[in-house]
Amino acid sequence: MARYLLTRLGQALVIVILVTLITFVILHFLPGGAARAILGKEATLEQIAAFNHDMGYDRPLWEQYALYLQRLVRGDLGYSFQLNQSVAEAITQRLPKTMVLSLASTALAVVIAIPLGVVQAVRRNKWPDYTINALSLLAYATPIFFLGLMMIILFAQVWPLLPPEAPQGFTLGEVLADPAGLVLPTVTLAVLTVAVYSRYVRSSMVDNLNENYVRTARSKGLSEGRVIVGHTLRNGLFPVITLLGMYLPALFSGALVVERLFNYPGMGLLFWQSALKRDYPILLGVTLLISVATVLGALVADVLYAAVDPRVRLKASRS
Amino acid sequence: MSLLRLVDLSTDIALRRGAVHALDHVNLEVRQGETLGVVGESGSGKTMTVLSVMGLLPPGGRVVNGQILFDGRDLLAMAPDELRRVRGVEMGMVFQDPLTSLNPTMRIGAQVAEPLRVHQGVSKAEARERAVEILRRVGMPRPDKIVDDYPHQLSGGMRQRAVIAMALIRSPRLLIADEPTTALDVTTQRQILELIDDLRDEFKMAVILVTHDLGVIASRADRVAVMYAGRVVETATTEELFRAPRHRYTEALMHALPEAAQGREGRLYSIPGLPPDLSQPLTGCRFAPRCRHATDACRATDVPLVRAAEDHLYACLHPVTEAVTFAPRGAGEARPAAASEPILSVRELVKEYDAGGKGRVSAVAGVSFEVKAGETLGIVGESGCGKSTVGRLVAGLEEPTGGQIVLDGTDIGALDRRARRRMHREVQLMFQDSYAAMNPRMRVDGILTEPLEIQQVGDPAGRRSRVTRLLDQVGLPTRALERYPHEFSGGQLQRIGLARSLALEPRLIVADEPVSALDVSIQAQVLNLMRDLQSELGLSYVFISHDLSVVDYMADRIAVMYLGKLVEIGPASQVVRAARHPYTQALIDAVPSPDPGHAPSPATAIRGELPSALNPPTGCRFRTRCPLAQDICRTEPPLEGGLHQVACHFPLREEAAAARP
Amino acid sequence: MNDQTRVRGLWRNGLEVFVDNRLALAGVGIFVLLAAFSFLGPLFYSSDQVHTDLANVYLSPGTAGHPMGTDGVGYDQLGRLMVGGQTSIVVGLAAGLLATVVGTVWGAIAGFAGGWVDAIMMRVVDAMMSIPALFLFMLMAAIVTPTVPMLIVIIGAFAWLGPARLVRGEALTLRTREYVLAMRGMGGTGGRAVRRHIIPNAIGTVIVNATFQIADAILYVAYLSFLGLGVPPPAANWGGMLSDGLSDTFSGHWWLLYPPGIAIILIVLAFNFIGDGLRDVFEVRLRRR
Repeated sequence: MARYLLTRLGQALVIVILVTLITFVILHFLPGGAARAILGKEATLEQIAAFNHDMGYDRPLWEQYALYLQRLVRGDLGYSFQLNQSVAEAITQRLPKTMVLSLASTALAVVIAIPLGVVQAVRRNKWPDYTINALSLLAYATPIFFLGLMMIILFAQVWPLLPPEAPQGFTLGEVLADPAGLVLPTVTLAVLTVAVYSRYVRSSMVDNLNENYVRTARSKGLSEGRVIVGHTLRNGLFPVITLLGMYLPALFSGALVVERLFNYPGMGLLFWQSALKRDYPILLGVTLLISVATVLGALVADVLYAAVDPRVRLKASRS
Repeated sequence: MSLLRLVDLSTDIALRRGAVHALDHVNLEVRQGETLGVVGESGSGKTMTVLSVMGLLPPGGRVVNGQILFDGRDLLAMAPDELRRVRGVEMGMVFQDPLTSLNPTMRIGAQVAEPLRVHQGVSKAEARERAVEILRRVGMPRPDKIVDDYPHQLSGGMRQRAVIAMALIRSPRLLIADEPTTALDVTTQRQILELIDDLRDEFKMAVILVTHDLGVIASRADRVAVMYAGRVVETATTEELFRAPRHRYTEALMHALPEAAQGREGRLYSIPGLPPDLSQPLTGCRFAPRCRHATDACRATDVPLVRAAEDHLYACLHPVTEAVTFAPRGAGEARPAAASEPILSVRELVKEYDAGGKGRVSAVAGVSFEVKAGETLGIVGESGCGKSTVGRLVAGLEEPTGGQIVLDGTDIGALDRRARRRMHREVQLMFQDSYAAMNPRMRVDGILTEPLEIQQVGDPAGRRSRVTRLLDQVGLPTRALERYPHEFSGGQLQRIGLARSLALEPRLIVADEPVSALDVSIQAQVLNLMRDLQSELGLSYVFISHDLSVVDYMADRIAVMYLGKLVEIGPASQVVRAARHPYTQALIDAVPSPDPGHAPSPATAIRGELPSALNPPTGCRFRTRCPLAQDICRTEPPLEGGLHQVACHFPLREEAAAARP
Repeated sequence: MNDQTRVRGLWRNGLEVFVDNRLALAGVGIFVLLAAFSFLGPLFYSSDQVHTDLANVYLSPGTAGHPMGTDGVGYDQLGRLMVGGQTSIVVGLAAGLLATVVGTVWGAIAGFAGGWVDAIMMRVVDAMMSIPALFLFMLMAAIVTPTVPMLIVIIGAFAWLGPARLVRGEALTLRTREYVLAMRGMGGTGGRAVRRHIIPNAIGTVIVNATFQIADAILYVAYLSFLGLGVPPPAANWGGMLSDGLSDTFSGHWWLLYPPGIAIILIVLAFNFIGDGLRDVFEVRLRRR
């Protein structure tokens, strides 16, 4: 197990370093050079030279990269002259709100998708399977902002139950004080996730239901419910843990769109506003942070999976 | 007094279009305390019969007619809850593949005791206690520890014991064992079959033993039912069936066994053709198209079961009247040893694999042997003994870690890559699963032309005529050239595989378990063909198999391997009938004989599990399981003798005089 | 016994399976209809899609000369759907195919080379995959001005990661298949293994995946448009029209919202159906009886 953890950790580290390389390279391909792009069009040549010197951009490339890494390790993601605050600060203000949205929608999606997938697997190639499959394919094919809009039309306009806009609070506390406003964004983001997860649960469960051990369980005279709950469910759901990790990038992409649609002041909205304003320090900082979060998320999921599945756990511990 | 009676049982399996009529009016009876053997080839319906009883039919499967009377009550008319209770408590089932028939994420104890928890509401603590108890009863070492293990921590034989324990913990009145030992090695098979025998007496239950292996039936069953194409064609007491079979199919099956070959040069009787397609409507005797005694009446009328004796039923219009004889062992004459030079000579061959930081796996540890022109060398041993690795090394698919392979006087290791590639023409490989060994997207003509293209033999026209001739040699029609591998049956694929290995006119063919996946009747066709081509073309074979009777039939000389070492090598008849190594003897005694009178001596049974090749025992590698082992066995015994060599400090016998040079 | 009969043998088999799958056929039908509407439609129905017509904004459907009405700057909605469809389909197809080609080559090299080459190449894929797609797209779109070719490159530059992983996995398993082993036993080279055995067997997976890539690329274009980084006017695509339509929803201009939305859903569904059908084809026709 320790060996497995170490290898997996080493891999994650390599990936993180590669991600920093990517952002570093992009930084250097910014239009007009990094300094011009960050300071803006009005910056004077002196300001640019001073900036380049301060940041070490007049030194050899590898030294620049070393300096870049050093700053990152210290938590210095750069400074946004447009927002007039440090990137780290800007992100810290918004990150919790994105986390709330992502976690809530993932939790909702898991709670809905698992029963759906299980029902599909158990009644496979019968009408419940076909119906759910058609719906999840439809959800997958619908641009999430179109879906969100229809939710707004339905539940805020035609049938005014919920506010059409997400809570606008600046702090997390203010946002949480308006739970009704969070319902539509959370549900919208969850729909796409449900479509992906339920398909995955279905195929994992179908694989397990076709295994010989299920036949053995039936031969003991167990009821069908007990066969599914006591035997296949656990095996079928283990892989969902790794899916939680693998799905993070798509989840964050979805959050970006949902935050824009519902005008929810999270990291996605910040990123969108910065893209329109070409505020590169923020763009690169958010990209880096979110990528590292993805890598760590996948790492945690893999380790968790190894911890719960005795096949992986014991094989790894013997080495 | 019958415990289970099947009355006109018919089962269909629905397909996308139509249905397979897997069982057609099956009538069977199992009496209390007896073992009923159900024997048949793949597709005969033997497994479907027991799955129908247990209610475990695959998706689309449905009993469409008949009754399943258990203790006089029809299971098919029972309420679901009651039915589950009867199946769960009064019946137990053991499956073919122990590796996949246990839940991988559930502890052994929990799985074994589950029936008690569900059907009898036993407490968790008591269930665990009962699980330990039954695990001990089925011969599990350290049951109090294993009860908390997960399935993948156990070997195949151990897992099968756990499945048996699971079936027995409810003290069932009927135990159904569906090919319980097919996936296991022969020495483990013997342990498991003996265990089932013992438990039957102790628990006073009836057993249904489903198998394709007539040998297993002969040694373990009281009565036998022979199935063919979804029907029971003959039932009799075991003794009667083997002494005087009446149905022509039963007779053909027995004739097709390698043991039934008349002498070393005798051909096997092979049943021509293939079993019928059960999704089509069939009339008459289903075996008629393949039967040499069939008449128009057989094809036109439905042949009912008729009574031959008190306990003997058969469905045949032209029953057997003469008795079947098995060739007494030892009747074979050794072929005059080919006086020619060895075509292959292997010296101190070593192959080790890196085990990812955990050390090295010693797969082949200093193996030496020779193969002469026109000769067949059989290599036998259980899984993990390194026999396949030897084959792959000889065929040049892997690089040896040490030692020499001398082919036709040339040391392969000394050649450059190009010359070695040319050398490949001399040695060709034949695989166990020819389907896996053929590119599914290539037609047969492409598959057969490939070796010629690689070795740049002839022009396209020449290749085409060569391929046509090859197909003819293995007895397939020319139109097979335009078909894809998935359109062929297992036996036909094995023929195509053989044709491909012949394409380059090699002098040596390494055949790795070439008939292990085939039914007996098809196996006979392939073995005959291999023998015919050998005498026609002067081929040499290295014939690798776990099946001692097949090797005994095919080989001139036999080499026995255990855990990477050659423990015995000599003329086939000597090795099989006068084994010198205790392991060889144990192997021979473990093979179930199709002669019901044959009883293996209990003294030679080996116990325990195969040690890991990661850190193999020092000295004689068999010493950890050998009944004769002493301290000196910690030193490695050399392979000694004349023509019949053995690597043992305490050989069972002296070399027979006839074998001495 | 020439090559043509060989190809037809497998093709006919596959075609039968595909035709059996009614959804797959429907997928082809939808795609053909939408493509014909977008590319052939303008031949029969002409409208000015270059100049705005501020005198005729927000005309309702059914207005003379504008059967589906006009949008906020006076473009004819029916004509615009045709033009927008062209962009969506072209970008989807091109980006999907670009991603498939790049990914296949990358994955194949990694899979065949193995060892540290494979390790490095796959860590690069992991690293890029850990950056969420839309964030990467927006970052790139913020650096370069989006045009249709640029959009194709931007989407293709990310979307190849999926096929790369897939093909590498295929290559790794195919490499150890027994028929490759058998070929080596005849003295065949690694190059022959790739040409004759590995590529023909991996091609099915690649083709199936390509259809899903196309569907995803069409969605990505829509998302980028929604985020304000689509192709600038007067060029149009369904995604852009849909996001423009969003702002008009509450004014009751439904004809600006639903037609492009439904068009996107239909074409994405169509490619998913086709992909599922093709998967059946490649699986079933090799299944052993």
